[in-house]
Amino acid sequence: MSASQIALSESDFQRIKSVLRAMQQELDSELVLLIHRSGQQIASDGPAVDLDLTSLSSLSAASLAATDGLAQIVGEKEFSVLFQQGRRRSIHISSLDNQFCLVLLFGERVSPGLVRWKVKKASGGLAQMLQEHQRKTGSGDSNSRMFTDDEIEKLFGQ
Amino acid sequence: MTFINYVAREINCKIVYYGPGLGGKTTNLKYVYDITNPENKGKLISLATETERTLFFDFLPLDLGQIRGFSTRFHLYTVPGQVFYDASRKLILKGADGIVFVADSQEERLDANLESVSNLQQNLKEQGFELARMPYVLQLNKRDLPNTMPADHLKKLLLVKGEPVFEAVATKGAGVLETLKAIARQVLIELRKSA
Repeated sequence: MSASQIALSESDFQRIKSVLRAMQQELDSELVLLIHRSGQQIASDGPAVDLDLTSLSSLSAASLAATDGLAQIVGEKEFSVLFQQGRRRSIHISSLDNQFCLVLLFGERVSPGLVRWKVKKASGGLAQMLQEHQRKTGSGDSNSRMFTDDEIEKLFGQ
Repeated sequence: MTFINYVAREINCKIVYYGPGLGGKTTNLKYVYDITNPENKGKLISLATETERTLFFDFLPLDLGQIRGFSTRFHLYTVPGQVFYDASRKLILKGADGIVFVADSQEERLDANLESVSNLQQNLKEQGFELARMPYVLQLNKRDLPNTMPADHLKKLLLVKGEPVFEAVATKGAGVLETLKAIARQVLIELRKSA
């Protein structure tokens, strides 16, 4: 049995994208990135999407997971936010519904306090949307996953 | 966690290389990285100590090609093998779709192999998963060293469920791609079962 699956249809994807875009515009952030706690990138928006988002997703998820580990050692359930402040750019990573993380990249003109407040405000709606998606069954086109043995073997011949 | 994006037409899967310290998990990933075309791989990230021991994990995103018009992206992770990094191993295991166990074939590492397999089973159980029901491949690494145990004997001791076994010399690349293909194949077959 595979650990779990998330299959995003076009409509689900566009709904999530629109929430990320609204957040990105409201905060004038360089990047809003939604990732799964396993390190997989789900969706992103913002002018900095040309960055290495695969690595950013993996490292953000790992950082938040390590922070959670620290929380448990000191008797906290979780530290739900991780904030890294740089000279020109800062990163705000927050936990969303225990399964996802939201990563915001923003420049020096944006106040970290404002980011924290806006993320908190927008996270509820996004978390609810993701929960609804997970309750739905059979999302996406399962027929496209009916690979034949030949197709799988061909993949390894490439 | 397999993530299927029907808009970008991508299938994303997570594979974790597990095993005792200094067994060759990072070497497997480095070999895959070295021989893969630049357009099919991302950056190899190693969070290691200054003596190149894995501190947290190594990460390599890999594109194995297209199937039914979907790009198949495999995210390869290693865990730190040293016993005291158990908390980190648990974090990296989260969401794994398939596991490769890299065993060190040297006689004096048998106890470390056995302890690591047991640790893997325990850590999966804590997350609600059973190794026996997950895509899983066993690699017997370091077959070129003089003090290796016979492969059949090692198999008897380490096999969990009749999983595919590959003898390897990761420093030279022997058995590395065979191992990767076997685990990727199992993950895709598992994905098909859930369709």
